Amino acid sequence: MSENLSSKFKGDSIISAAGRITGLPRGYGDTKIVIMPRDPMWFYAYWEVSSVAHSELRKKIGDDKYGSSCWVLRVYDITDKEFDGSNANKFFDIALNQDSESWYINVTETNRVWCVDIGVVTPDGRFIAVARSNVLALPRHGVSTITDEQWAMLQQEFEKLLKLSGVDKIGRSSFDLTKLMRERWEEILSVSMPSSHMGASSWKKAPGGEVKAKDFWLKADTELIVYGATEPDATLKVQGQKVTLRPDGSFALRFYLPDGEQEYPIEATSSDGTMHRHITFVVRRDTK
Amino acid sequence: MEPKGYWCLQLHAHLPYVRHPEFPDFLEEDWLYEAITETYLPILSMMEKFMDEGVDFRLTMSITPPLAGMLSDSLLQSRYYNKLGKLIELSEKEIWRTKNQPFYETAQMYDRQLKECRRLWEKYHGNILNGFKNLQDSGKLEIITCCATHGFLPLEVNSPAARAQVRIAAQDYERHFGRRPRGIWLSECAYTPGIDAILKKEGIKFFFLEAHGILYATPRPRFGVFAPVYCPSGVAAFGRDMETAHQVWSADTGYPGDPDYREFYRDLGYDLEYDYIKPYLHEDGVRRNIGLKYHRITGKVSLSEKQPYNPQWADNKAAMHAGNFLFNREKQAQYLSEVLGRTPLVVSMYDAELYGHWWFEGPNFLNYLFRKIHYDQNTIKTITPSEYLEKFPKNQVVTPAASSWGDKGYYEVWLNGSNDWIYRHLHKASERMVELARENPSADGLRRRALNQAARELILAQSSDWAFIMTTKTMVEYAEKRTREHLSNFTAIFEQVKRSQIDEGYIGNLEYRNNIFPGIDYAAYNPEVK
Repeated sequence: MSENLSSKFKGDSIISAAGRITGLPRGYGDTKIVIMPRDPMWFYAYWEVSSVAHSELRKKIGDDKYGSSCWVLRVYDITDKEFDGSNANKFFDIALNQDSESWYINVTETNRVWCVDIGVVTPDGRFIAVARSNVLALPRHGVSTITDEQWAMLQQEFEKLLKLSGVDKIGRSSFDLTKLMRERWEEILSVSMPSSHMGASSWKKAPGGEVKAKDFWLKADTELIVYGATEPDATLKVQGQKVTLRPDGSFALRFYLPDGEQEYPIEATSSDGTMHRHITFVVRRDTK
Repeated sequence: MEPKGYWCLQLHAHLPYVRHPEFPDFLEEDWLYEAITETYLPILSMMEKFMDEGVDFRLTMSITPPLAGMLSDSLLQSRYYNKLGKLIELSEKEIWRTKNQPFYETAQMYDRQLKECRRLWEKYHGNILNGFKNLQDSGKLEIITCCATHGFLPLEVNSPAARAQVRIAAQDYERHFGRRPRGIWLSECAYTPGIDAILKKEGIKFFFLEAHGILYATPRPRFGVFAPVYCPSGVAAFGRDMETAHQVWSADTGYPGDPDYREFYRDLGYDLEYDYIKPYLHEDGVRRNIGLKYHRITGKVSLSEKQPYNPQWADNKAAMHAGNFLFNREKQAQYLSEVLGRTPLVVSMYDAELYGHWWFEGPNFLNYLFRKIHYDQNTIKTITPSEYLEKFPKNQVVTPAASSWGDKGYYEVWLNGSNDWIYRHLHKASERMVELARENPSADGLRRRALNQAARELILAQSSDWAFIMTTKTMVEYAEKRTREHLSNFTAIFEQVKRSQIDEGYIGNLEYRNNIFPGIDYAAYNPEVK
């Protein structure tokens, strides 16, 4: 509480999560994947694949294929199913770069139930899973279409009731305490020159990101897709992390995009190591 | 006469467990001391005056287990009492210093308020929980519990660990209030279907939900947020009214931003001559807020242009805002009772610390509001959730929707790029705690102490406050340190118990430093213990 409030609005850069984990182990020698809800359209997956699991996989599919396989998350829609690995309503894959340990997964359909396998896709297109996640129903979005007879009512009445209940204000009320105080502080800042009064103490403050308007609402967020292609046998790094290329040399990565300036350096090195190409994107997100 | 509508006010009083006996003077303990002076004591004082004067009222408060633990802790009590004494010393000096200044009345006001704090504090011999307990026993106040350390249940994938957050909280509530809790405030109002079944097993009858938790329920809620619903487990859920939320919170039209109200950001800790104020700062001598503030919000002006605070104007404004709030409740109740065909219930929920700490005049606003409700009208009546359920036991059964009262209405504040890294460690520790509890169904002696301390370290690491602070990017270092520290303490105990090489000195030191839940029983983590 007793820190200088002004510092928190001067665009603290986002420190990479990995830099903060001192004192905690990098892993626990487990082979597992866990998924957690964020909101009706997004969930978070974290995983760990032990070195034992890696070597078993290598043995199972052979050194060659192991080296040229691509790690993926296979995301299954298992709504209304007793999932047995083969009866999903549908699925999609997310290609991973080798060192990633977590991912935010965006789904396009709401009110579904999800499960995720982590595994590899071999060059001949086979998927081999090494771990399966928990089952996750994302938060329900929107008003139910189901009514019960005992408590029935007319559509029109229900709509009126929703409005009275403040359905249009959902998502605008949160961080109440902190947001209000932050707005107050920003207002003071906007009319002040920096002075010795900048210090202030209190707990609980808010980050940015919400767009407000009277009697009308808007929710928006953005993310970043970085894509491209190089020689299929080249080595590619994005933000210093090695990225596995698709067989045709193309790649696509999706990033969570926080406020502030982010750099995405992309470097390709030819297979013999003699030639390099660089492209760097500098992306700035400002939520106003 | 039956009222046209009921109003339930739920104040959520919570601070994370911050107690550092290893340091003589610890900055983050101020969170508690400020809240006691500015929020908890003024609200207690208000309610006691209602009792003395026969003003009928109903209020619901969640006093979270970490807060109750700190309020009943003798070390923190004595530290608070010293702080209060210093502040009173300063307020007395200030009366003299401001004699011929426009701040004189404000200085007198602080002196009076601080002395009222001291009177109440001494009345309860430092344990003000007893004051709240008396009010509960009289039927005016309903105290509910919260997850044991404000753990965020929808992000706990390990169900015995989620259950332990509720079980340990309910046991601790009994220690302070002499009976089982009837209701719970789920931390951050964060719910996902199935949590109600955990509550049911612990004998809890009701909880609160953000509006869309009810509005997006299946099937459709017949009365919107204006009547509670029953979950499939039979536990009742009360939904948040957005109109009252906005009346207080809206940045442009909300009450707390009124120009006559006190300016939070202009504080004597920065304004006064250094040598004069130094004895009232922390040992490091750095200027910080000390809680005495002599200016009003004034308008959209810089801090140096803020005008002197006028206690009388602020008092008038609080009365006016209370009148406006009540007028709106009466209109709302009249209209809703026609539309619904049932007596509506409007539930307003706020962080308790809004009243007093942030919005200095907040407790006075509540004081006027409850008095006006009692004396001036018959349209609405205040009620507690338990009373409401007794009066109106027939309610619709629905499955509420997953939700929270955090930014955007779901879980992103507690799960994003700044804090997602903690969960793999928290989940692992939960899994290991359950393993220990299963393997040691009836430990005793040092082994039992070690297992109980492991439970304390885990549960302290689970506070949603740490993830919240990481998101807000203030005091991040402290939040990360606490997360890492409790997790590594846990891991060390886990390994000692596994190897059957328990270091008594190590356990003893942790018991002394992290002493939350003196009566904790690690069996709460054993899924075989029903």
